[in-house]
Amino acid sequence: MANRTDPAAKSIRGTNPQNLVEKILRSKIYQNTYWKEQCFGLTAETLVDKAMELDHLGGTYGGNRKPTPFMCLVMKMLQIQPEKEIVIEFIKNEDYKYVRVLGAFYLRLTGTDVDVYRYLEPLYNDYRKLRRKLADGQFTLTHVDEVIDELLTKDYSCDIALPRVKRRWNLESLGSLEPRRSALEEDFEEEEEKEDNDQPADELEDRAYEKDYYRGRSPTRERERDRRRDSHRHRDRDYDRDYDRDYDRDRDRDRDRDRDRERDRDRYRLREEKDYGREREGRERDRRDRDRDRGRRRSRSRSRSRSKDRKDYDGGDYRKRHARSSASPRRHGDGHEDDEPKKKKEKKEKKEKKDDGTDHPDPEIAEANKLRAALGLKPLKV
Amino acid sequence: MIEVVLNDRLGKKVRVKCNDDDTIGDLKKLVAAQTGTRADKIRIQKWYTIYKDHITLKDCEIHDGMGLELYYN
Repeated sequence: MANRTDPAAKSIRGTNPQNLVEKILRSKIYQNTYWKEQCFGLTAETLVDKAMELDHLGGTYGGNRKPTPFMCLVMKMLQIQPEKEIVIEFIKNEDYKYVRVLGAFYLRLTGTDVDVYRYLEPLYNDYRKLRRKLADGQFTLTHVDEVIDELLTKDYSCDIALPRVKRRWNLESLGSLEPRRSALEEDFEEEEEKEDNDQPADELEDRAYEKDYYRGRSPTRERERDRRRDSHRHRDRDYDRDYDRDYDRDRDRDRDRDRDRERDRDRYRLREEKDYGREREGRERDRRDRDRDRGRRRSRSRSRSRSKDRKDYDGGDYRKRHARSSASPRRHGDGHEDDEPKKKKEKKEKKEKKDDGTDHPDPEIAEANKLRAALGLKPLKV
Repeated sequence: MIEVVLNDRLGKKVRVKCNDDDTIGDLKKLVAAQTGTRADKIRIQKWYTIYKDHITLKDCEIHDGMGLELYYN
Protein backbone atom coordinates (compact mmCIF):
# COMPACT_ATOMS: atom_id res chain seq x y z
CA MET A 1 0.00 0.00 0.00
CA ALA A 2 2.60 2.49 0.98
CA ASN A 3 4.99 1.21 -1.59
CA ARG A 4 2.72 0.99 -4.56
CA THR A 5 3.14 3.48 -7.32
CA ASP A 6 0.37 5.98 -7.78
CA PRO A 7 -2.16 4.21 -10.02
CA ALA A 8 -2.57 7.34 -12.12
CA ALA A 9 1.14 7.49 -12.81
CA LYS A 10 2.42 6.89 -16.30
CA SER A 11 4.84 4.12 -16.99
CA ILE A 12 8.36 5.25 -17.65
CA ARG A 13 10.43 3.54 -20.29
CA GLY A 14 7.87 0.81 -20.45
CA THR A 15 7.83 -0.08 -16.81
CA ASN A 16 6.64 0.92 -13.39
CA PRO A 17 8.61 4.05 -12.58
CA GLN A 18 9.84 2.58 -9.36
CA ASN A 19 11.58 -0.14 -11.32
CA LEU A 20 14.13 2.39 -12.45
CA VAL A 21 15.75 1.69 -9.15
CA GLU A 22 16.88 -1.87 -9.04
CA LYS A 23 15.38 -4.52 -6.82
CA ILE A 24 17.95 -4.76 -4.08
CA LEU A 25 18.21 -1.03 -3.61
CA ARG A 26 14.46 -0.69 -3.76
CA SER A 27 13.96 -3.20 -0.95
CA LYS A 28 16.61 -1.44 1.08
CA ILE A 29 14.77 1.84 0.69
CA TYR A 30 11.45 0.32 1.69
CA GLN A 31 12.97 -1.04 4.86
CA ASN A 32 14.64 2.22 5.73
CA THR A 33 13.31 4.16 8.74
CA TYR A 34 13.50 7.50 6.99
CA TRP A 35 11.27 6.16 4.28
CA LYS A 36 8.81 4.65 6.71
CA GLU A 37 8.57 7.62 9.01
CA GLN A 38 9.06 10.67 6.88
CA CYS A 39 8.10 9.64 3.42
CA PHE A 40 4.72 8.21 4.26
CA GLY A 41 1.88 9.92 2.48
CA LEU A 42 3.98 12.66 0.95
CA THR A 43 2.52 14.77 -1.81
CA ALA A 44 4.31 17.06 -4.18
CA GLU A 45 4.01 20.03 -1.82
CA THR A 46 5.09 18.27 1.33
CA LEU A 47 7.88 16.67 -0.63
CA VAL A 48 9.31 20.12 -1.26
CA ASP A 49 9.51 20.71 2.48
CA LYS A 50 11.36 17.47 2.98
CA ALA A 51 13.67 18.26 0.11
CA MET A 52 14.54 21.60 1.64
CA GLU A 53 15.73 19.80 4.74
CA LEU A 54 18.24 17.74 2.78
CA ASP A 55 21.83 18.42 3.56
CA HIS A 56 23.74 15.87 1.58
CA LEU A 57 23.39 13.67 -1.44
CA GLY A 58 24.62 10.19 -2.06
CA GLY A 59 23.75 6.62 -2.78
CA THR A 60 24.13 3.86 -0.25
CA TYR A 61 26.70 3.69 2.46
CA GLY A 62 28.03 1.40 5.11
CA GLY A 63 28.58 -2.31 5.28
CA ASN A 64 24.92 -3.13 4.83
CA ARG A 65 24.36 -0.39 2.29
CA LYS A 66 21.96 1.96 3.97
CA PRO A 67 20.28 4.40 1.60
CA THR A 68 20.56 8.13 2.16
CA PRO A 69 17.51 10.38 2.58
CA PHE A 70 18.32 11.76 -0.86
CA MET A 71 17.74 8.29 -2.28
CA CYS A 72 14.50 7.92 -0.39
CA LEU A 73 13.20 11.20 -1.76
CA VAL A 74 14.13 10.23 -5.30
CA MET A 75 12.19 7.05 -4.78
CA LYS A 76 9.26 9.01 -3.44
CA MET A 77 9.26 11.24 -6.48
CA LEU A 78 9.26 8.20 -8.70
CA GLN A 79 6.35 6.88 -6.74
CA ILE A 80 4.12 9.93 -6.82
CA GLN A 81 5.40 11.16 -10.17
CA PRO A 82 5.03 14.94 -9.94
CA GLU A 83 4.31 16.84 -13.11
CA LYS A 84 6.99 18.19 -15.36
CA GLU A 85 6.29 21.79 -14.36
CA ILE A 86 6.89 20.97 -10.75
CA VAL A 87 10.15 19.25 -11.53
CA ILE A 88 11.26 22.20 -13.60
CA GLU A 89 10.42 24.48 -10.72
CA PHE A 90 12.65 22.36 -8.53
CA ILE A 91 15.44 22.80 -11.02
CA LYS A 92 14.94 26.47 -11.58
CA ASN A 93 14.85 27.47 -7.93
CA GLU A 94 18.03 29.17 -6.88
CA ASP A 95 17.75 29.08 -3.13
CA TYR A 96 17.96 25.45 -2.23
CA LYS A 97 20.74 23.65 -4.04
CA TYR A 98 19.77 20.18 -2.85
CA VAL A 99 16.25 20.67 -4.15
CA ARG A 100 17.84 21.63 -7.44
CA VAL A 101 19.96 18.54 -7.57
CA LEU A 102 17.02 16.37 -6.57
CA GLY A 103 14.95 17.78 -9.42
CA ALA A 104 17.83 17.35 -11.83
CA PHE A 105 18.31 13.75 -10.79
CA TYR A 106 14.65 12.97 -11.19
CA LEU A 107 14.56 14.61 -14.60
CA ARG A 108 17.59 12.65 -15.68
CA LEU A 109 15.82 9.45 -14.73
CA THR A 110 12.46 10.20 -16.24
CA GLY A 111 12.80 12.94 -18.83
CA THR A 112 13.26 12.72 -22.57
CA ASP A 113 16.70 13.24 -24.09
CA VAL A 114 16.02 16.74 -25.28
CA ASP A 115 14.56 17.76 -21.93
CA VAL A 116 17.52 16.34 -20.09
CA TYR A 117 20.00 18.40 -22.05
CA ARG A 118 17.87 21.47 -22.16
CA TYR A 119 17.19 21.72 -18.46
CA LEU A 120 20.37 20.29 -17.04
CA GLU A 121 22.90 22.21 -19.04
CA PRO A 122 22.09 25.61 -17.52
CA LEU A 123 22.99 24.05 -14.19
CA TYR A 124 26.58 23.85 -15.36
CA ASN A 125 26.86 27.45 -14.29
CA ASP A 126 26.07 26.69 -10.70
CA TYR A 127 29.29 26.40 -8.73
CA ARG A 128 27.95 25.87 -5.29
CA LYS A 129 29.41 23.28 -3.00
CA LEU A 130 27.61 20.11 -2.12
CA ARG A 131 28.19 17.45 0.45
CA ARG A 132 28.27 13.93 -0.84
CA LYS A 133 28.19 10.76 1.20
CA LEU A 134 30.50 8.06 -0.06
CA ALA A 135 30.06 4.32 0.19
CA ASP A 136 32.21 4.06 3.29
CA GLY A 137 30.09 6.58 5.16
CA GLN A 138 32.42 9.55 4.88
CA PHE A 139 31.50 12.87 3.39
CA THR A 140 33.27 14.46 0.52
CA LEU A 141 33.08 17.81 -1.20
CA THR A 142 31.62 18.17 -4.63
CA HIS A 143 29.94 20.90 -6.64
CA VAL A 144 26.64 21.24 -8.43
CA ASP A 145 28.24 21.40 -11.85
CA GLU A 146 30.31 18.30 -11.13
CA VAL A 147 27.19 16.41 -10.22
CA ILE A 148 25.43 17.59 -13.37
CA ASP A 149 28.41 16.55 -15.44
CA GLU A 150 28.26 13.13 -13.88
CA LEU A 151 24.57 12.88 -14.68
CA LEU A 152 25.09 13.86 -18.27
CA THR A 153 28.18 11.87 -19.07
CA LYS A 154 28.32 8.80 -16.87
CA ASP A 155 25.78 6.06 -16.80
CA TYR A 156 25.84 5.35 -13.10
CA SER A 157 25.34 7.75 -10.26
CA CYS A 158 24.35 7.46 -6.63
CA ASP A 159 23.99 3.71 -6.97
CA ILE A 160 21.32 4.02 -9.64
CA ALA A 161 21.93 3.01 -13.20
CA LEU A 162 20.93 6.03 -15.23
CA PRO A 163 18.86 5.36 -18.33
CA ARG A 164 20.61 5.91 -21.63
CA VAL A 165 20.22 9.25 -23.30
CA LYS A 166 21.35 9.95 -26.83
CA ARG A 167 24.66 11.72 -27.28
CA ARG A 168 24.49 15.42 -27.69
CA TRP A 169 25.95 15.47 -31.16
CA ASN A 170 23.31 12.96 -32.22
CA LEU A 171 20.59 15.29 -31.16
CA GLU A 172 22.36 18.22 -32.78
CA SER A 173 22.60 16.43 -36.06
CA LEU A 174 18.93 15.57 -35.82
CA GLY A 175 18.26 19.22 -35.31
CA SER A 176 16.45 18.80 -32.00
CA LEU A 177 19.11 20.72 -30.14
CA GLU A 178 21.33 23.61 -30.91
CA PRO A 179 25.07 23.26 -30.64
CA ARG A 180 26.27 23.83 -27.15
CA ARG A 181 27.17 27.33 -26.19
CA SER A 182 29.22 27.41 -23.07
CA ALA A 183 28.72 30.33 -20.75
CA LEU A 184 32.48 30.59 -20.57
CA GLU A 185 32.89 30.94 -24.29
CA GLU A 186 33.25 34.69 -24.17
CA ASP A 187 35.86 34.38 -21.46
CA PHE A 188 37.87 31.98 -23.58
CA GLU A 189 37.72 34.26 -26.56
CA GLU A 190 38.88 37.18 -24.49
CA GLU A 191 41.79 35.23 -23.17
CA GLU A 192 42.77 34.13 -26.60
CA GLU A 193 42.64 37.69 -27.84
CA LYS A 194 44.89 38.74 -25.03
CA GLU A 195 47.42 36.07 -25.82
CA ASP A 196 47.34 37.06 -29.45
CA ASN A 197 48.63 40.43 -28.47
CA ASP A 198 51.15 39.25 -25.92
CA GLN A 199 52.94 36.42 -27.60
CA PRO A 200 54.57 35.93 -30.98
CA ALA A 201 52.81 34.43 -33.90
CA ASP A 202 54.52 31.11 -34.42
CA GLU A 203 53.89 29.67 -31.08
CA LEU A 204 50.34 30.77 -31.37
CA GLU A 205 50.02 29.25 -34.78
CA ASP A 206 51.30 25.98 -33.55
CA ARG A 207 48.88 26.18 -30.76
CA ALA A 208 46.20 27.12 -33.17
CA TYR A 209 46.52 24.02 -35.19
CA GLU A 210 47.01 21.98 -32.10
CA LYS A 211 43.75 23.37 -30.94
CA ASP A 212 42.00 22.76 -34.20
CA TYR A 213 43.42 19.36 -34.32
CA TYR A 214 42.96 17.91 -30.90
CA ARG A 215 39.49 19.13 -30.55
CA GLY A 216 38.76 17.25 -27.42
CA ARG A 217 41.25 19.12 -25.31
CA SER A 218 40.31 22.37 -23.73
CA PRO A 219 42.18 25.43 -24.94
CA THR A 220 43.29 26.47 -21.48
CA ARG A 221 44.84 23.13 -20.82
CA GLU A 222 46.79 23.22 -24.05
CA ARG A 223 47.94 26.70 -23.40
CA GLU A 224 49.09 25.80 -19.95
CA ARG A 225 50.94 22.84 -21.26
CA ASP A 226 52.67 24.93 -23.87
CA ARG A 227 53.43 27.58 -21.37
CA ARG A 228 54.90 25.09 -19.00
CA ARG A 229 56.99 23.52 -21.70
CA ASP A 230 58.23 26.78 -23.02
CA SER A 231 58.80 28.42 -19.68
CA HIS A 232 61.23 25.67 -18.81
CA ARG A 233 63.15 26.40 -21.96
CA HIS A 234 63.10 30.04 -21.19
CA ARG A 235 64.58 29.55 -17.79
CA ASP A 236 67.36 27.27 -18.90
CA ARG A 237 69.13 29.82 -20.97
CA ASP A 238 70.78 32.90 -19.75
CA TYR A 239 68.36 35.39 -20.94
CA ASP A 240 70.51 37.52 -23.10
CA ARG A 241 68.50 39.05 -25.82
CA ASP A 242 71.27 40.73 -27.69
CA TYR A 243 73.33 37.64 -27.94
CA ASP A 244 70.44 35.69 -29.25
CA ARG A 245 69.37 38.28 -31.71
CA ASP A 246 72.82 38.47 -33.22
CA TYR A 247 73.16 34.76 -33.22
CA ASP A 248 69.84 34.19 -34.78
CA ARG A 249 70.32 36.62 -37.55
CA ASP A 250 73.02 34.38 -38.94
CA ARG A 251 70.86 31.35 -39.00
CA ASP A 252 69.53 29.77 -42.05
CA ARG A 253 65.97 29.27 -42.97
CA ASP A 254 66.73 25.58 -43.16
CA ARG A 255 67.86 25.48 -39.62
CA ASP A 256 64.51 26.94 -38.76
CA ARG A 257 62.87 24.11 -40.50
CA ASP A 258 64.97 21.47 -38.85
CA ARG A 259 64.27 22.97 -35.53
CA ASP A 260 60.61 22.92 -36.23
CA ARG A 261 60.73 19.34 -37.20
CA GLU A 262 62.64 18.34 -34.13
CA ARG A 263 60.41 20.23 -31.88
CA ASP A 264 57.39 18.73 -33.48
CA ARG A 265 58.91 15.34 -33.12
CA ASP A 266 59.29 16.03 -29.45
CA ARG A 267 55.68 16.92 -29.35
CA TYR A 268 54.84 13.72 -31.14
CA ARG A 269 56.59 11.77 -28.49
CA LEU A 270 54.55 13.40 -25.81
CA ARG A 271 51.48 12.60 -27.85
CA GLU A 272 52.49 8.97 -28.18
CA GLU A 273 52.54 8.58 -24.50
CA LYS A 274 49.03 9.75 -24.45
CA ASP A 275 48.26 7.21 -27.13
CA TYR A 276 47.12 9.44 -29.90
CA GLY A 277 47.65 6.90 -32.62
CA ARG A 278 49.91 6.83 -35.57
CA GLU A 279 47.59 8.20 -38.21
CA ARG A 280 47.41 11.44 -36.37
CA GLU A 281 51.15 11.73 -36.46
CA GLY A 282 51.24 11.16 -40.15
CA ARG A 283 48.51 13.66 -40.67
CA GLU A 284 50.19 16.18 -38.44
CA ARG A 285 53.39 15.83 -40.38
CA ASP A 286 51.55 16.45 -43.60
CA ARG A 287 49.87 19.37 -42.11
CA ARG A 288 53.06 20.79 -40.81
CA ASP A 289 54.71 20.36 -44.17
CA ARG A 290 51.87 22.11 -45.79
CA ASP A 291 51.91 24.91 -43.35
CA ARG A 292 55.58 25.35 -43.36
CA ASP A 293 55.57 27.95 -46.06
CA ARG A 294 53.47 29.88 -43.60
CA GLY A 295 51.23 31.04 -46.31
CA ARG A 296 48.18 29.47 -44.91
CA ARG A 297 47.94 29.97 -41.21
CA ARG A 298 44.42 29.85 -39.99
CA SER A 299 42.36 31.55 -37.34
CA ARG A 300 43.96 34.20 -35.29
CA SER A 301 47.24 34.42 -37.07
CA ARG A 302 46.01 35.96 -40.26
CA SER A 303 47.06 39.40 -39.22
CA ARG A 304 50.50 38.27 -38.15
CA SER A 305 53.55 39.51 -39.95
CA ARG A 306 55.36 36.83 -41.83
CA SER A 307 58.69 35.22 -41.16
CA LYS A 308 60.96 38.00 -42.30
CA ASP A 309 59.38 40.51 -40.04
CA ARG A 310 59.27 38.13 -37.18
CA LYS A 311 62.93 38.40 -36.49
CA ASP A 312 62.51 42.05 -35.71
CA TYR A 313 59.34 41.50 -33.85
CA ASP A 314 60.65 40.55 -30.53
CA GLY A 315 63.88 38.89 -31.38
CA GLY A 316 65.16 37.18 -28.33
CA ASP A 317 61.85 36.63 -26.71
CA TYR A 318 60.39 35.03 -29.74
CA ARG A 319 63.33 32.81 -30.40
CA LYS A 320 63.41 31.69 -26.86
CA ARG A 321 59.97 30.42 -26.77
CA HIS A 322 59.74 29.23 -30.27
CA ALA A 323 62.52 26.69 -30.19
CA ARG A 324 66.05 26.12 -29.06
CA SER A 325 67.75 29.25 -30.21
CA SER A 326 71.23 29.52 -28.70
CA ALA A 327 74.12 27.15 -29.04
CA SER A 328 74.52 25.44 -25.71
CA PRO A 329 70.93 24.59 -25.10
CA ARG A 330 70.82 23.51 -28.67
CA ARG A 331 73.55 21.01 -27.95
CA HIS A 332 71.54 19.79 -25.03
CA GLY A 333 68.68 19.65 -27.37
CA ASP A 334 70.70 17.60 -29.79
CA GLY A 335 71.68 15.21 -27.08
CA HIS A 336 68.11 15.08 -26.06
CA GLU A 337 67.00 14.33 -29.57
CA ASP A 338 69.55 11.58 -29.89
CA ASP A 339 68.25 9.99 -26.78
CA GLU A 340 64.77 10.02 -28.12
CA PRO A 341 65.03 7.19 -30.58
CA LYS A 342 67.04 5.28 -28.03
CA LYS A 343 64.44 5.89 -25.40
CA LYS A 344 61.74 4.77 -27.76
CA LYS A 345 63.59 1.56 -28.34
CA GLU A 346 64.17 1.00 -24.67
CA LYS A 347 60.56 1.56 -23.96
CA LYS A 348 59.57 -0.96 -26.59
CA GLU A 349 62.04 -3.47 -25.27
CA LYS A 350 60.77 -3.01 -21.81
CA LYS A 351 57.30 -3.63 -23.03
CA GLU A 352 58.51 -6.81 -24.62
CA LYS A 353 59.98 -7.98 -21.34
CA LYS A 354 56.81 -6.98 -19.54
CA ASP A 355 57.22 -6.18 -15.92
CA ASP A 356 53.56 -6.83 -15.34
CA GLY A 357 53.91 -10.52 -15.95
CA THR A 358 51.71 -10.73 -18.98
CA ASP A 359 54.24 -12.84 -20.80
CA HIS A 360 54.25 -15.60 -18.26
CA PRO A 361 54.64 -19.05 -19.84
CA ASP A 362 51.48 -20.34 -18.22
CA PRO A 363 48.67 -18.91 -20.36
CA GLU A 364 46.20 -18.79 -17.50
CA ILE A 365 48.52 -16.74 -15.37
CA ALA A 366 49.39 -14.50 -18.28
CA GLU A 367 45.69 -13.94 -18.87
CA ALA A 368 45.10 -13.18 -15.21
CA ASN A 369 47.99 -10.76 -15.20
CA LYS A 370 46.64 -8.98 -18.22
CA LEU A 371 43.36 -8.46 -16.43
CA ARG A 372 45.12 -7.25 -13.34
CA ALA A 373 47.15 -4.80 -15.31
CA ALA A 374 43.97 -3.50 -16.86
CA LEU A 375 42.49 -2.99 -13.41
CA GLY A 376 45.64 -1.38 -12.11
CA LEU A 377 46.75 -4.16 -9.84
CA LYS A 378 50.19 -5.65 -9.48
CA PRO A 379 50.88 -8.97 -11.17
CA LEU A 380 50.40 -12.29 -9.45
CA LYS A 381 53.17 -13.54 -7.25
CA VAL A 382 53.67 -17.01 -8.55
CA MET B 1 49.27 -16.55 -5.35
CA ILE B 2 46.10 -17.99 -3.95
CA GLU B 3 42.91 -19.05 -5.55
CA VAL B 4 39.59 -18.40 -3.89
CA VAL B 5 36.18 -19.68 -4.84
CA LEU B 6 33.18 -17.40 -4.63
CA ASN B 7 29.71 -18.83 -4.75
CA ASP B 8 26.45 -16.97 -4.66
CA ARG B 9 24.31 -20.10 -4.42
CA LEU B 10 22.18 -18.94 -7.30
CA GLY B 11 24.34 -20.29 -10.07
CA LYS B 12 27.40 -18.07 -10.04
CA LYS B 13 30.49 -19.86 -8.96
CA VAL B 14 33.73 -18.11 -9.69
CA ARG B 15 37.35 -19.08 -9.13
CA VAL B 16 39.66 -16.13 -8.83
CA LYS B 17 43.45 -16.09 -8.69
CA CYS B 18 44.89 -13.34 -6.58
CA ASN B 19 47.77 -12.43 -4.31
CA ASP B 20 47.37 -12.71 -0.60
CA ASP B 21 48.29 -9.08 -0.19
CA ASP B 22 45.48 -7.91 -2.44
CA THR B 23 42.70 -6.12 -0.68
CA ILE B 24 39.07 -7.21 -0.65
CA GLY B 25 38.35 -4.27 -2.91
CA ASP B 26 40.79 -5.63 -5.50
CA LEU B 27 39.21 -9.04 -5.18
CA LYS B 28 35.83 -7.48 -5.85
CA LYS B 29 37.19 -5.86 -8.99
CA LEU B 30 38.50 -9.19 -10.20
CA VAL B 31 35.20 -10.87 -9.47
CA ALA B 32 33.34 -8.07 -11.21
CA ALA B 33 35.50 -8.55 -14.29
CA GLN B 34 34.62 -12.21 -14.34
CA THR B 35 30.96 -12.10 -13.49
CA GLY B 36 29.91 -8.87 -15.11
CA THR B 37 28.33 -7.20 -12.08
CA ARG B 38 29.68 -3.92 -10.91
CA ALA B 39 32.41 -4.07 -8.29
CA ASP B 40 30.57 -1.84 -5.86
CA LYS B 41 27.50 -4.03 -6.01
CA ILE B 42 29.32 -7.06 -4.72
CA ARG B 43 29.46 -8.06 -1.12
CA ILE B 44 31.82 -10.79 0.05
CA GLN B 45 30.83 -12.55 3.22
CA LYS B 46 31.72 -15.52 5.29
CA TRP B 47 28.65 -16.48 7.31
CA TYR B 48 27.70 -13.14 8.86
CA THR B 49 31.07 -11.46 8.55
CA ILE B 50 31.00 -8.90 5.80
CA TYR B 51 34.53 -8.23 4.65
CA LYS B 52 35.57 -4.63 4.35
CA ASP B 53 37.17 -3.27 1.20
CA HIS B 54 40.44 -2.02 2.57
CA ILE B 55 41.63 -5.11 4.44
CA THR B 56 44.04 -7.47 2.71
CA LEU B 57 43.15 -11.10 2.15
CA LYS B 58 45.97 -12.18 4.37
CA ASP B 59 44.61 -10.17 7.26
CA CYS B 60 41.16 -11.59 6.63
CA GLU B 61 42.75 -15.02 6.95
CA ILE B 62 41.56 -16.07 3.53
CA HIS B 63 43.73 -18.95 2.37
CA ASP B 64 44.16 -20.81 -0.83
CA GLY B 65 41.11 -22.75 -1.94
CA MET B 66 38.80 -21.14 0.57
CA GLY B 67 35.19 -20.64 -0.35
CA LEU B 68 33.53 -17.28 0.15
CA GLU B 69 29.94 -16.23 -0.16
CA LEU B 70 28.99 -13.82 -2.83
CA TYR B 71 26.14 -11.45 -2.13
CA TYR B 72 24.92 -8.33 -3.79
CA ASN B 73 24.21 -4.91 -2.47
